[in-house]
Amino acid sequence: MALHVAVDIGGTFTDLIGYDDETGHVFSSKSSSTPTELTKGIVRCLEKSGMVIRNLVNFVHGSTVAINTVIERKGASTALIVSKGMRDVYKIGRGNRPEAYDLAFKRPVPLVPRHLTFEIEERLLASGEVLVALNTDQARATIEKVAQSDATAVAVCLIHSWVNASHEAELGKLLRSICPDKYSSLSHEILREYGEYERISTTVLNAYIGPRVSTYVTDLERVLAADGFAGSLLIMQSNGGVMSPETACVIPVAMLESGPVGGFIAAARVGKRLGYENVIGFDMGGTTAKTNLVKDGIPQLAHGYHIGGYASGHPMMLPVVDTIEIGAGGGSIAWVDEVGSLRIGPQSAGAEPGPICYGRGGTEPTITDANLVLGRLSASEFLGGEMPLDVEKARAGIVEKVASKTAVSDIEAALAITKIAVMNMSLAVRGVSVERGYDPRDFAMIAFGGAGGLHAVEVARELHIPTVIVPNYPGQFSALGMLMADIQHDYVQTYYRPLAATDFAALQRICDGLIEEGRLRLARENVVPEAMYFQRFLDIRYTGQEFSIPVPVPAEYIDGGDSQAIGETFNEVHERRYGYHTPEHTLEIVNVRVSAMGKRKQLELPVPEQSGSGNPLVGRRMVYFETVAEPVECPIFSRERLASGYRITGPAIVQEYACTTVLFPGDMLVVADTGELVITLKV
Amino acid sequence: MAKDKLDLVTLEVIRNALPAITNEMSHVLQRTSYNMMIYEVRDYCCGLVDSSGYLLSQNMGGVSHFVSDLGVVIKDGMERYGSKGFKPGDVIITNHQRVAGQHLNNVVIYTPCFVQGEIFAFPVIRAHWVDVGGMSTGFSAGNAVDPWMEGFQLDQIKLYEAGRIDEKVWRILKDNIRFPESSLGDLQSQVAACRLAERRLEELFDRYGRDVVTDAIRQIFDQTETRCRAVVEKMADGTYEAESLFAGGALDNNEPIHIKVKVIIDGSDMTIDLTGCSLQRRAPVNARTLAGAVVAYKCITTPFEPVNEGSFRALKVLIQEGNYMMAKYPAPMASWGRTLPTVVDTILKALAPVMPDKVPAGHLGVLGGPAVFIGTDPRNGQGFVTQSIEGGGWGGRPWGDGESASVSVCQGDVRNAPIEKMELRWPVLVMSRALRQDSGGPGKFRGGLGMATHIRNRVEGRWNLADSGRRAYPPWGLWNGKPGQPSEHLLRLPNEPDFKSVDVVRHWVPADSDAVVITAGGGGWGDPLDRDVERVREDVLEEYISAEAARNEYGVELDSKTLVIDRKGSARLRDELRKARQT
Repeated sequence: MALHVAVDIGGTFTDLIGYDDETGHVFSSKSSSTPTELTKGIVRCLEKSGMVIRNLVNFVHGSTVAINTVIERKGASTALIVSKGMRDVYKIGRGNRPEAYDLAFKRPVPLVPRHLTFEIEERLLASGEVLVALNTDQARATIEKVAQSDATAVAVCLIHSWVNASHEAELGKLLRSICPDKYSSLSHEILREYGEYERISTTVLNAYIGPRVSTYVTDLERVLAADGFAGSLLIMQSNGGVMSPETACVIPVAMLESGPVGGFIAAARVGKRLGYENVIGFDMGGTTAKTNLVKDGIPQLAHGYHIGGYASGHPMMLPVVDTIEIGAGGGSIAWVDEVGSLRIGPQSAGAEPGPICYGRGGTEPTITDANLVLGRLSASEFLGGEMPLDVEKARAGIVEKVASKTAVSDIEAALAITKIAVMNMSLAVRGVSVERGYDPRDFAMIAFGGAGGLHAVEVARELHIPTVIVPNYPGQFSALGMLMADIQHDYVQTYYRPLAATDFAALQRICDGLIEEGRLRLARENVVPEAMYFQRFLDIRYTGQEFSIPVPVPAEYIDGGDSQAIGETFNEVHERRYGYHTPEHTLEIVNVRVSAMGKRKQLELPVPEQSGSGNPLVGRRMVYFETVAEPVECPIFSRERLASGYRITGPAIVQEYACTTVLFPGDMLVVADTGELVITLKV
Repeated sequence: MAKDKLDLVTLEVIRNALPAITNEMSHVLQRTSYNMMIYEVRDYCCGLVDSSGYLLSQNMGGVSHFVSDLGVVIKDGMERYGSKGFKPGDVIITNHQRVAGQHLNNVVIYTPCFVQGEIFAFPVIRAHWVDVGGMSTGFSAGNAVDPWMEGFQLDQIKLYEAGRIDEKVWRILKDNIRFPESSLGDLQSQVAACRLAERRLEELFDRYGRDVVTDAIRQIFDQTETRCRAVVEKMADGTYEAESLFAGGALDNNEPIHIKVKVIIDGSDMTIDLTGCSLQRRAPVNARTLAGAVVAYKCITTPFEPVNEGSFRALKVLIQEGNYMMAKYPAPMASWGRTLPTVVDTILKALAPVMPDKVPAGHLGVLGGPAVFIGTDPRNGQGFVTQSIEGGGWGGRPWGDGESASVSVCQGDVRNAPIEKMELRWPVLVMSRALRQDSGGPGKFRGGLGMATHIRNRVEGRWNLADSGRRAYPPWGLWNGKPGQPSEHLLRLPNEPDFKSVDVVRHWVPADSDAVVITAGGGGWGDPLDRDVERVREDVLEEYISAEAARNEYGVELDSKTLVIDRKGSARLRDELRKARQT
């Protein structure tokens, strides 16, 4: 028996999905997250699912421990060591105020106080040459001071360490010998990209969360080992890959934004299996909707992100799966503002008290309440009937808070709520597609999360996306994606040069160096050479531009010094993204990037067992679609009873345990051989 | 939704769609720009303006004093060409101060957008080009006495007619600017972003029809106006006044500029009267702008809402022809925006008594501390301009300390240049970028700290180290808070032992000279003797203030080693300081 399991700790729920690759049996469970004792929660979740820990061969874990440490500011007391003259660079940041008219704007609050920030006498030039040699006596004296401080973590980031890491490395040695018990992070061990403020911030984040995350990871290993676990434990990262626990202890900053990632990995895999290399993942849950675009089977990445929001958050420069998130989930509240316009979110009723219809004291109408009033959700079969919903209470709330203030009927108000929510969500999907130069008509949408299937066809129709796919296990899709992720590490090295003056031998050496680093890390993670895979990117721009675009470059372009092919690739990408290109302009390279991947054995996606053989048509009810005037007597299907190849033409509703899929009149659904619902939209 | 009727949902769709278009224009321009004034300083705006000159939408973020100032340019263009005078594919370029009223670097590009063959609106982008010819590049035409010294003037010129470029105009432009690849690259970005907006607007009209869209726009304007009125309505009626001074240049016999404002609140109407401000000057600080008033109004009414024509309908701005902010062509305007942050701050000061819980003490009051060095890079023989905008202190607030090292109220998402980038691109060395201890004005809530950025030029060249206008007039305190430390510029040549305070433009220096750009700290809010002693201790621990300042300004005695507060001694000291004030 070979058991695989993924456990995804989210803000509200901990999801587990596992399966036996010999019998094909799927295990799953869902339980409330226990923020104070995360590891116990995991063990409980495993017990609940019926999986036996000692039989596990693979355990993939996604956790909010890192992000919560930052958001709640519960990280280590952290010291920061910088070059002479640079003590305040971290506090000063970029000096900007993204909310231009806000007199009460808030700049990011540093994670290191000024009195724990120390300067070292040394200085490098942008060429890597040493201007002022490292003063080791002063460095030693400074580190002694750090040793005596109450800091338990130390971040080191020197000016131009991206090109020459020798001073930083030397400080690292001193630091690790003088205060071996303190957690330390050196910027060049995380990234070698120019831009001191963002690099300092990334290094500080790493140090700040380091002690807590490593304790957590080692605890988890110990607890699992105590129960006989002898398989491989992997931790989910923000870039869509996984890493070993050892790596997670060294660069915990790589897991900060891992929360929403798993679902998009799974979307890429499901798409691929059904013949769609290009898909848009659409995840609608209780509080937000998130979306990401998958091109050629790979979720798109963003290089740089602000933890806690752009306006006052902390920059983190490692790649993250590029998602746009908006406050439109099932629990998002609909409200009428002071001038009578109807708005949705960003406030959410959350899980407690939740929508009005849950009957747990919620008083504000939500998207879920609107769906119930429109007949799209079933009052009696929500969560398989475990939780009856109160449709009259929901209706009364919508009348009181929306309809009466806008002089429309209850149904009109509920329709307006869903349509405005759909519009907001389609703006987010536009953001990852149209606004980045992709035509949504070339994509299929993969809809998941508890509320994904309710609105997917409407969002897709807005953007002329022809096909919507509702995968198996849409409620645990994020955890499922973790089971499928490969190991991935991303490396960057600034190499700033006109493309025409590029020393390709040097460029090749940089690539080889980064690849070698990746190879060593993968080897330490027990990846066999045959499973290793490396991808090279060059960040390129027109000379004089500031923003560069990462351009995937095959090894032969670099090895062969083919600057023409590189330039052509860049021009194509620029054209797609910004609608024009100027081939007569010269180009410059800014950064070299390498993604080092360790392919994991591809699990055959579990096909849910078809339970119940009866008639899949389980009932009919009146449902409102486009207009108030015409409610439709709509057939209701039970997903568990749908056999592969089964066809349905909308209007129709397909219900399953934690998800409902709505087909509008004319939409056509067919159940794939592997169980997914593939919906072709009526044009 | 039905195509011929405006309903709740369609209104929301259009309300969201219009700002989405201008924000997408902004994204394209910024990401593809060749010029740090655009990609870093965000010295541009993108708008949709209808054929009557009404603002349908403008991008958020970036430089705020461009808010709602595109309408006059379009009205002028419509008068010039007439409603039948535009064809699809036209691109118009203009920077003429007769109407645009800003420095010539701010080049406006717009294109017509048609609905059923009729002109409906224009996507418009105003962006700061790095060079427009004239006496100097960058910000260095600060002593131009007329527009011809400042650069070329383009008065509503069609650069493209029906999609075809006018090669002659293009060549004249190219030959009269110092960095043609940068400015013409930006021109291409501007055109690409306008074209994108045309497509987006057409999609909107195709889907909803002209009547529904115009009806929605009218309602959006009305609702925006209502939102603003609701805020002003809550303020006590009355006339509120404040004034401040701003340095005048040698051309004006060093007479300071008077900024005298009167704000009249009458129900939900607000009038901002700027007629008491100085008349037009010989120095190029003139403009034709309402920005000071509209930025202040925006900050206090709806800071987070998208901007449209309704945003300022309930505001009346009084300003006469011949005022330095409504100067007659050909008054010089090279430094047109310089006083605006102080104008905004002065209006806010006038309103402090009616909005005591919102108005902070004075902030740096200028457009940051610009670090500008011009030279030739020996590595490639090409000219370069090093530029960074350094932030300063903001005033203490009714609820807490002012933010440190942040750009002014007229600059939103404007970022300084990273040190590593400056050194990678240009032959300069940044010795330090630091907060200035004790620069924040003492107060119950302290002013934010100013900063000092020390840069060494590694090749010979020219520094701009000029007083931005507030060196003699530090950011003011409020409610017994004290002023912040003023700004300054220092210079030390390689053979000199000490730094000297300077006020110079395009000042030639040899290699390895050292310049320090020093920005002001914010003013304090409330009496410093009322400051929580624990906060004073933290400030000393963090070295935001010195132990002397803790004692002399805040009346707090600390043990010099342990920083333990001497509570009795402090209470006594505070009593003494209070008494000393009365005598």
